[in-house]
Formats: sequence, C-alpha cells, structure tokens
Amino acid sequence: MEKNRLISIPHLGRVEGHGGIEVEIENGKVTRVNMDIFEGSRFYEMLIVGKKFTEVSAIVSRVCGICSAGHTLTSQMASENALGIKVTPRTEFLRSLLLHGEAIESHALHLGCLVLPDLLGYEGPLTMVKDYPAEVTVALNLKKLGNAIQELIGGRAIHPINAIVGGFGRIPTKIEWLKLNTDLQKGLELSDALVDLLAKIRLPEYTTHTGIYAALEPRQDRYSYLGDYILTSDGVKRPISEFRKICHEKVVAHSTAKQSLYNSQPFMVGSLSRINLNYRYLTGKAKEAQQKLIPNLPSHNTMNNNYAQMIELVHSIERSLQLIKILIENGLEHEEPIKYNVKAGQGIGAIEVPRGTLYHYYEFDNEGRILDADIITPTAQNLANVEKDMRGAVETLINEPVKVIRNSLEHIARAYDPCISCATHLVEVKVK
Amino acid sequence: MENKKPKIGIFGLTSCAGDQLAILNCEDELVYLANVLDIRDWEMAQTNNDNSIQLDIAFVEGVVAQSRDLQALQAIRKRTKLLVALGTCAVWGGVAAMKNQIPKDVLNKEVSGEEINILDSMPALPVKSFVKVDIQLPGCPIEKDQFLQVVTSLLKGNLPEILKFSVCSECKMRENACIVIERGEVCCGALTLSGCNARCPSHNIPCGGCHGPIEEVHYDANVTMFKTHGITKDDIEQKMAMYAAPAWIPEKLLAEK
Repeated sequence: MEKNRLISIPHLGRVEGHGGIEVEIENGKVTRVNMDIFEGSRFYEMLIVGKKFTEVSAIVSRVCGICSAGHTLTSQMASENALGIKVTPRTEFLRSLLLHGEAIESHALHLGCLVLPDLLGYEGPLTMVKDYPAEVTVALNLKKLGNAIQELIGGRAIHPINAIVGGFGRIPTKIEWLKLNTDLQKGLELSDALVDLLAKIRLPEYTTHTGIYAALEPRQDRYSYLGDYILTSDGVKRPISEFRKICHEKVVAHSTAKQSLYNSQPFMVGSLSRINLNYRYLTGKAKEAQQKLIPNLPSHNTMNNNYAQMIELVHSIERSLQLIKILIENGLEHEEPIKYNVKAGQGIGAIEVPRGTLYHYYEFDNEGRILDADIITPTAQNLANVEKDMRGAVETLINEPVKVIRNSLEHIARAYDPCISCATHLVEVKVK
Repeated sequence: MENKKPKIGIFGLTSCAGDQLAILNCEDELVYLANVLDIRDWEMAQTNNDNSIQLDIAFVEGVVAQSRDLQALQAIRKRTKLLVALGTCAVWGGVAAMKNQIPKDVLNKEVSGEEINILDSMPALPVKSFVKVDIQLPGCPIEKDQFLQVVTSLLKGNLPEILKFSVCSECKMRENACIVIERGEVCCGALTLSGCNARCPSHNIPCGGCHGPIEEVHYDANVTMFKTHGITKDDIEQKMAMYAAPAWIPEKLLAEK
C-alpha cells in the first residue's frame, strides 16, 4: 500500500447540488479531509436587502427546491417575529402539516432514490426498479404522498405559493381533506414495507465517536418540527434568538458554503439529532419503527441518520392524519390572513427542516424593508461534522484499498442527505 | 423505438435543483420514462454517468453564475443534438440574476465578512446568453405536466409547442376575481407566460411572474394600469424584479429613478 495518497471524488452523484470530496494521506496519516462545495454562490442574504417582507419568502424559497416549504415558512415566521404578528391556531396547524408533507417527500426521495440503491448496489432508482419493483414503487408512492400534502396546502409541491406572512391564501375544502386523508391512510400501510426492507439491511458503522447533536425542543410535548428553544446534547437549552452561539460560521477556501462550529467543535443536525434528543416523544407506529431500526438511543453512528429519517417519515404520516382530523373538527370556513402594522424591528425564525435546523434572521426598517439578513442552513451546520466523520473513517480504513475508502466516504456524505453535495463516480488516486 | 431510445442527459447549473426535482416528482411516470428514454447522464439521480457520450437531448436547469457553469454548459452543448432550457433560471436568469445589480466586491465582502476573493462568481445569466437553445420551458419550478408534454412531443419526433398566452387568460378561464381590480395589488398575470393554470390568483395570491414574460409584453400599459389602481412605483418594482430581472424590469420604470 502506498504511504502517500490523494483520494479525490470530484463529483458526487445522487445528491442535490454540486460537491466533491478530497482526502490526502501522507506517510500513512490523514493530513487533509475536504468536503468541497462548488455550487455557484447566489448571495441570497444580499439579494433580499431592500426587499419588503411580503416579497422575501418567495425569494428565499429558491435557496433549495427540496426544502422550499421550510425556507418559505421560516422566512415568514422571522418576519412575523419582527413585526409582532401572532398567527391563528389554524395557521399553525396548516404550517405543521405543510412541514410534514415536506418531510415525507424529502425523506422518501432520499431513502428510496438515493440511499437504498447505494446500500443494495445499484446506480440509481431507475436501475434498482428492475429487481425491486415493489419497494421502489412504495418509495415513489410515499414521495408522491408528501407532494400531495404540499400541493394542497402550499398550492404547489415545490416553492409553495399559498403560505404568506400572517396566514394562508386559500383553505382546502372538506372533499380535498378527505381525499388526502384516504391517501395518508394508504401511505401509512405502505410505509411498513419500507421499514421492513430497511430493518433487513445492516448499516455500516464507520465512526463511533460521541458527537454533539442539536435540535429544536418540540412544543407541547409532542414530536414536532416547530420549537422555540434549541437543545444541544451537552444538556444546554437556549432560546432560538441565541442561534449564533450554536452556529459560529466561518468561510473555508474549498467551499462556497460556510461552515458552522459549536464551542469550536463540529456538531450534527438533522433526523438523527432530533431522534437522539427527542425520541421520548415518539408514539404509535413511529415508536415501533424506532424500536425496530434504532433500539438503542442515543446513537453515535451517523449512518443511522438514514433510519432516523424512516422513523420520522412514519411519524409525519401519523401526525398528518391527526392534524387533518383537528382541522376538519374546528371548521373550514374562510379565514383572512392576520392584519398587521408594519414597523421597524428584528426577528428570528427557526424550523426543523428535513436536514436539520434552519434559521432565518432579519432586520427591517420602518417600511418593512430588509436591512440585514442571516440564513443558516442545516447542510452548512453539518459540513464540519461530515469532514470529522470522514476523517474518522479514513483513519480506521487507512490500510484498505481505495475502493473501500471511497465507498465509505460516499456512504457518509450521502447519510447526511446534503443539500448541496456529493457522491461520486470517479476516484482519482495520485501518489505524491 | 425500443432499440432506438433517445440518449438523454439531465444537468443542473447553479440552481435550487427544483426543476430536476420536478422531474423526480413525476412519480407515476418515472418508471415509464426510464423505459422509453435512455438516461445516460443525470448526476442528481444516478451514479455511473457517462459524461462523454453523444446525447440526443440535454435538459439543462439553472443559471450560469460561475466559470465552472459556463464550461459545463459549453461541454453539454457540444455533445447534444437538442438542448432544452428547463426553468426560469435557465430561460431568463431567475431569482439568481437579481445579484447582477450588486457589485462583485460588495457581494464577496458582505457574505464572507472578510475582504477575500475566494468566490469564482460572475453575473448570473441565462443559458441562451452563451449557447444555442432549441427549446425553452420556463417555470419556477417547471410544471411537470408541461415537462411530460415536451418529452412526449420529442419522442414522437415533433418540436413541442409551449403555450404562448398569459396567466391572466388562464385566470379568466377559472373565473377568479381580479386581484388588481378588487384589491389594488400588483399582479403580474397579464405579463406572465401561462402553464401553471393561474396557481397563485386561484389561491387569492397575486401572480409573481415566476414563468417570466410572454412575447410582446406590454409593460408600459400594465404599469399605467397598476398606477390607476393606486399602486406605487415601488410596489411595482418590488414585485416585477424577482424572477426574470434582465428581461422583466421595464427600462422606463428604472429610468424614472
């Protein structure tokens, strides 16, 4: 085995966006691990300066197609926080439901189309379908279910249009709710097949370091994607307004995305963090799925993020059914968005989107125009932790052939479900 | 047909991946598409991609915002017979093109907080600014039904027809109350290319113009009309500057500043 190696994965496939991985080994020691991000910068925090709060959520929705509902709602909540707007309980239910739709779609896409082919040895879902037609169909149907929720409540599956500051433009009719209810019941049955398939696959364990996890504390003692406090696995609880204590952002030369550190340490956000910190709130079939997939919690195997997504997928279907029941019981008459006065101020919004905690922070002038903005995405928070995990894996596998190392790097990157990142089909080995 | 499946590539330049996601959202048709198309290069959805093979059709999402995008785009154009620009970023520049108003050094300094130029950034421009485009399907994101129509037309050997009327026409067909007249708010429906079946106005939300302009759009008449409903120039600009900035903001409106 060569003592000096450069393992380079220039393009990652089956992830959203453009990224690569580079690992350098000198004299049998890992000297550099970079998760490279080369998606072009779009400068969203600058684009929205001068824009009115009414236009901002539609712009920042375009940060990410997959998390577009999360960006839209986080933005609207930040604006409402700044303007002192309190929305109605129905708006909160509809927002929760929209986020469950996004979680179902995103997790089904990641597990069914990106991860399962990986674990079962296929190039993608379209080749995997030849041998696993039923499983791929289930994953696609669950993905479709998540989109149906987003289409109905958001008005569009990608980049929702129906959610606005203060409420929603249109409330779905009873017939539309009942149809969605039927689809969700079918989806809940279908999800069993995917849980069982995943339970049969043993996920590799590349690192077992005790990590740091962060997630929002659910409101009302129920597993949820909304919360007002940030929990970290060192036992500290902070209001979301103190998000900068969690995310010290730094610019790194190999990436157009910024990286985050907590107490100078990498940390993890996303499904596994949420399950690790909040698993005691799980109920019903989601709890059963957790007992099948990750019986011992907290888990320090970040590959388990895949299982954690499956648990959340089941939870989101169950909770959506409950929310629809509540919405119908409370009546479906038209409700105008909340009226408000525009004033200067600053506001923060935070939501657990599929890949972790998303923060939007805005400052407004007295006409409701953005003076300053800060958007911190989950993938940016995770990048330093991905590199830490990769370093750990390479140190363990240092004497293995390049192919084994390359696979481990791809598995780790993909487990985080990075929104801008990577997987690869070309590995270059250079001896220095 | 079976043994002569068209070779397909699906690519993303700088973007939110929303248009590629819209393709993946064709859940009912995806397996069929994989049977009738020979998808040889699609980084977002598969590995083992062949990045040198000659393609029959390349679908390109996103905007050219860095030299890396430009190199990728030129390489795609060289290896494909037809190039389809997918989505408003690829067709008009999209939301990303709003950054062209801001000087580069200001951008780098603001985002990184430091005066270092690590970012390979250039003005964000649509695909047609650099290479020949055969078919343009705008939308932010594209409507999946329109995408499927484009694919089926191409499979039959026809050039797809993208409807040319406005969102306003679709809105009238759905018998929605007019947001400009009833509420005195800016609605871009009369200026914007159809295809969405007037999604926003049908949800009591004004059209934001996310499909970009129709041909021969009457900016001045619309701006005058907005003003007669008491809408300020600032509100008009805020709304109209969003999705297709280079083509969209009426020059006269800007000149009034």
